[in-house]
Amino acid sequence: MTDEPPVLRIRGLTKEFDGFQALKGIDLEFGKGLLIGLIGPNGCGKSTMMKCISRIHDQTSGTIEVAGKDVSRMKASEVAKLVANVPAEAGQTFGISVMDMVMLGRYPFVDKIWWENPEDERITREAMRTFGIDHLRRKQVALCSSGERQRALIAKAYVQEPRLMLVDEPTSHLDMKYKLQVMEYLQKMSRSDMTVIVAEHDISLMARYCDVCVIMKKGEIVAVGDPKEIITEKLIEDVYEVEARVGLDADGEIYVLPKRYVEGSL
Amino acid sequence: MPKEGVFSRFRKGYRGLKEDLETPDVSEIELKKKRFRLIVIFGLFMSAIAFLISISISSGGVIPVSEAIGALFSAIGKSFSGDTNLNMIELYIYNARLPRTIASIAVGAGLAVAGCMYQAIIRNPLVDPYITGVSSGAGCFAMAATALGFSIPFLADNTLYIIPVVAIVGGIIAFAITMTVAEGSGGSSVNYILAGTIVGFAFSSVQTVFMSMGKDNLTDVMWWLYGSFANITWENAWIVFIPVVGISVIAMIWAREFNLYSMGEDQARQLGLSVKKFKRVTMVTASVLTALCVAFVGIIGFVGLVVPHACRMALGSDHRLIMPASIVIGAMLMLFADLAARTVMSPAELPVGAITAMIGTPVFAYMLMRRGRNYDG
Repeated sequence: MTDEPPVLRIRGLTKEFDGFQALKGIDLEFGKGLLIGLIGPNGCGKSTMMKCISRIHDQTSGTIEVAGKDVSRMKASEVAKLVANVPAEAGQTFGISVMDMVMLGRYPFVDKIWWENPEDERITREAMRTFGIDHLRRKQVALCSSGERQRALIAKAYVQEPRLMLVDEPTSHLDMKYKLQVMEYLQKMSRSDMTVIVAEHDISLMARYCDVCVIMKKGEIVAVGDPKEIITEKLIEDVYEVEARVGLDADGEIYVLPKRYVEGSL
Repeated sequence: MPKEGVFSRFRKGYRGLKEDLETPDVSEIELKKKRFRLIVIFGLFMSAIAFLISISISSGGVIPVSEAIGALFSAIGKSFSGDTNLNMIELYIYNARLPRTIASIAVGAGLAVAGCMYQAIIRNPLVDPYITGVSSGAGCFAMAATALGFSIPFLADNTLYIIPVVAIVGGIIAFAITMTVAEGSGGSSVNYILAGTIVGFAFSSVQTVFMSMGKDNLTDVMWWLYGSFANITWENAWIVFIPVVGISVIAMIWAREFNLYSMGEDQARQLGLSVKKFKRVTMVTASVLTALCVAFVGIIGFVGLVVPHACRMALGSDHRLIMPASIVIGAMLMLFADLAARTVMSPAELPVGAITAMIGTPVFAYMLMRRGRNYDG
């Protein structure tokens, strides 16, 4: 077996916005086939870190390597073949149809100036069938339900065939059923060659599906590891300033129940 | 079994197209290519018809189409062989109608392309080619030139060019200010709209100052403020036509990049587009195009706003279809509007901008009522 470089290796990553330190020296390393949960309060740097990895932002210092390649030294179109990004919301989509949007994920791969080739279309249709949105292909994204839209966004990232997929709060607008469905899709993808990093506020959901959890606070990593080991009442109080009950249900799954916020922390 | 007639075959063909759309495994790319070919063929065909109508009819009366074509070809033949001895009809068609027709095609297509580019980049339904203040800057300078009566040394013997040249300078100055303010405030789409709007206001108010100063010779500049093709000659028709063709081709090549933009800037950047550079280049290109159109024929509203929207409603969001459709529809709308402008109240000429709005508004309102519910432009 050859020595394969890790899917993601971050060394000393910092990011400053107008004097505000959003990330204060992040070190991380992950192999392939993992579902990684990124947890932390609002403004702790989760989204900033993901945007640095996918080159939407440029980091202030430090290095980010994906599959052994330094992303800050690569062309954006090359990064797009390694890293895909699923935004929290589709935003205003200007009348684009579901299939057109999913097909945009093939943009980095199309050499010809204009039309995608049959192979691109085959990959796109297959992804749409996998995520159960093939019947919506001519529907406008803006007219889809939140669940459909989220699946379309994930499908768009999936057809990029990335090594690393970054997913930002995928379930924040979804009801319980779709939350479970989206997490199952993400888990299934991570069982293939892909590593998936998902940022999310629902800690119970993260603890249940993720192989590894990364806990962040104020631009720093507080804990990394198996969710069952690292998520404790003490950690929740440290990170979120909330008293919570952490326990195991009858199936042995972790649940986190917030009780009250720490006096004077607001 | 009854013999298959033309009609039943046609119906079968139509059903075939419908079945195509309903088959689950039909290739969407192939469907798009089909629609693209249809747009090009239909566009060329309709443009040819509009072109023939345009050179045959005018305030002077109607010439039979066959005669007009004959005169056109013989005039072109003569001008190539260096024969300057054209007869009346040849002279009229070749020197008056043809350049005017070419200019209206160019300006219609140009404004529609510019509008389509701006809308794709700024992603706001109210965007039109004048959003960056180009028209206000051009109008202000044109008015100043007229009111103050200044002349440009090397154009002293050709007064027809003073307004266009001054207008182009004004338009580009206004755009440069808009660009500086928008980039200085972060360069987001909203910054562009705000900067363009305030720059537009500033130049418009200066324009009214000059207007009250130069009350006596306002008629010289009035044609320009409401848009007109009356001052088009061979010399200036090319100055509009060639850049429009070039920039339209470039805009078509960029169709997929415009598609990326419909997902927003972060997503476009993540998929490998250098967003800042692309936006800057597009803005400059579209503004130069607008300035050229505005300079020679004045401010013609409506086309650049509504034609791209109508194409989006009819064809969806893929710029590989919207771009060519906008070019064709913009050119045709302008041809017919100019035709109406010079014939309806003949010999008086109507402002062409008023005609484009009068033809376009009912059509657009109808489309909006039918398709608007499913349109989040």
